[in-house]
Amino acid sequence: MAYKTPADLRYAKTHEWVRQEGEEVVIGITDYAQHALGDVVYIELPAVGSTITAGESFGIVESVKASSDLYAPVSGEVVAVNTALESDQAPINSDPYGAGWMLRVRPSGESVELLDAEEYAAFVAEIEH
Amino acid sequence: MRTLTVYHLGRIAYTAAWDIQRQLAHKRSRGQIGDALLVLEHPPTITLGNKARPEHVLASPAELAARGVVVVQSDRGGEVTYHAPGQLVAYPIFKLSQHGSDVGRYVRGLEESVIRVLADYGLIGERIAGLTGVWVRNGAAKICAIGVKLSASGVTTHGLALNIDPDLSGFELIVPCGIMDRGVTSLANELGIVPSFAEVTERLIARMCEVFELVPREEVLLMA
Repeated sequence: MAYKTPADLRYAKTHEWVRQEGEEVVIGITDYAQHALGDVVYIELPAVGSTITAGESFGIVESVKASSDLYAPVSGEVVAVNTALESDQAPINSDPYGAGWMLRVRPSGESVELLDAEEYAAFVAEIEH
Repeated sequence: MRTLTVYHLGRIAYTAAWDIQRQLAHKRSRGQIGDALLVLEHPPTITLGNKARPEHVLASPAELAARGVVVVQSDRGGEVTYHAPGQLVAYPIFKLSQHGSDVGRYVRGLEESVIRVLADYGLIGERIAGLTGVWVRNGAAKICAIGVKLSASGVTTHGLALNIDPDLSGFELIVPCGIMDRGVTSLANELGIVPSFAEVTERLIARMCEVFELVPREEVLLMA
């Protein structure tokens, strides 16, 4: 199964993507992640102004009855949260790299190992195997 | 076919079983072990899933303490549920990519396994659209609760709780899974006899292996 992995993003092995936008980064979950989880029905995200730490959980995403942790690909301060997802989670499934974005963060420097699109696609192919 | 290593944990505290699940899930994600299944029962415990609302625990802390019921915040999906002796709990530690990479299909597989066990006892188990679990009597009463977690590495934890013969009055302490308008039942309640815990356990293991195409290998486990 081929999952979308846009070339302009970088990816954590825990299936979050990162898009650099000026000094800030936008974070969401990948097409593979949304597919594995199924229709998302609930999400918990941190508040604007809080800090997240690379490699640590920053929230929860939950489908029918499976929940999954969200892991921070970078450390930094949360400057914006896609609060629309709290009432309607459908964009996480239908548009994971667009309207399904979760956080905008001002990074403080640390990050987990981030893969490029090609490396991430190979990583997913390996775990799918 | 791949093997399923089955661990019989007996009666074990929720948090202790949770630790074992986490250890096995870590090994499963690193490919150090194959799929595993924990079968056990818990002492009286109320667990809160991510979506649980505090008001769905109806009893006061004093009442819970008097009944010896502990309350645990869990990281599984779903709302509030109740565990007690006489309820068969099964926690599959599965690599989801080897079972279709689809958590919806996985949960339906758990439901299907339970529905086949119920059929072994002449009962008709049903799903209810939009909900997770197994019901009997046309959806009037829930007999099996399901709540799972998927790790970032694609390994499942938590699972299902099938009521064989628990004290059903414990469910009056909560609003099970946030659903107000349906009852809770057990195999003993439906059959009028109490099937043995060991027998139901063996049937569930057999049905899960059938549904998920695995060969069971039993193990008695003791993890330090």
